Amino acid sequence: MTEDSLDPLIHVPARLRIVVTLAALRDGEDLSFTRLQDMIGLTPGNLITHLRKLEDAGYVTTERSGNGNAARTSVALTRDGRVALDRYTTTLRQLLDSASPA
Amino acid sequence: MSAGVDMRDDAGMDVQQAGVILRQAGERARRELAVKRPLLLATWGLVTLAGYGVTWLSVRGQRPIHGPAVWAIVTVVALLLIAVVLTAWVVDRASSGVGGLSVRQRGSFALALAVGVVALEIFIRAVSHAGADRAVVLLLGVAAPLLVTGVVLLASCAVHGSLDVPRLSLGLWLLAVASEGAWAGPVTYLWVCALVGGGGILLMAALEPALRRS
Repeated sequence: MTEDSLDPLIHVPARLRIVVTLAALRDGEDLSFTRLQDMIGLTPGNLITHLRKLEDAGYVTTERSGNGNAARTSVALTRDGRVALDRYTTTLRQLLDSASPA
Repeated sequence: MSAGVDMRDDAGMDVQQAGVILRQAGERARRELAVKRPLLLATWGLVTLAGYGVTWLSVRGQRPIHGPAVWAIVTVVALLLIAVVLTAWVVDRASSGVGGLSVRQRGSFALALAVGVVALEIFIRAVSHAGADRAVVLLLGVAAPLLVTGVVLLASCAVHGSLDVPRLSLGLWLLAVASEGAWAGPVTYLWVCALVGGGGILLMAALEPALRRS
């Protein structure tokens, strides 16, 4: 097994943080764009870029509600995203175990 | 940002860095997004202990019983206000920006508690107005907060998808204290609720993290 077996969409620092943060929410919960940005520490532009890639892959959903000052964009991890993170975590642990001295 | 990890778009990383991010981001998200239940339980445990304790101090030795003194009622109201404000602050900090099912559940829980306590208080006033003995009115007033909280905790367990052992245990404990303690008579009932009820909530504050993990 090599690093290539890790999901390339998740195996990027910023996107790994995003997916892990969203995975801490319970099923049916979402997180506002601004709170996610605070927790990840990315600029809005960078966060939008990463979210778009994750959304295209079906790992997250974004939803905009309200108008003007009351507008809110919420982000949630999809079932596919949770499955992909579980698979990524399992593969990463196997790689770390095989890399560590016996 | 932490661990000196490059956050540029699509910057690569090795498996060690990925392991660090996975652990740190997961810990941080769980820490920041979770409502600090041990803190809330400790607050309400202390309020229960002090509130019932203060009321007991003001009615002990009364023959016949004529109810708690004004200074005791003012103290209890002040304690409740402090606890409510602290609870609102702790919950708001954790759930800021979080939307969905759990937020609606929390709102329903708070509403059910408030409506339940107010409804029982109105009922107790009606009982008093109908000419019930002061001792009986005191007994009902002491039982009301624990009975309502116990029932709401158990009801909220029923609507939760997964088994919440701390919530279930606390609900059962409060109902047991409220129902069994009443046999001790109104004045003794007060310190039973203070020590066994408040003590139980404080014990749950200490045990909650371990029970949640199990």
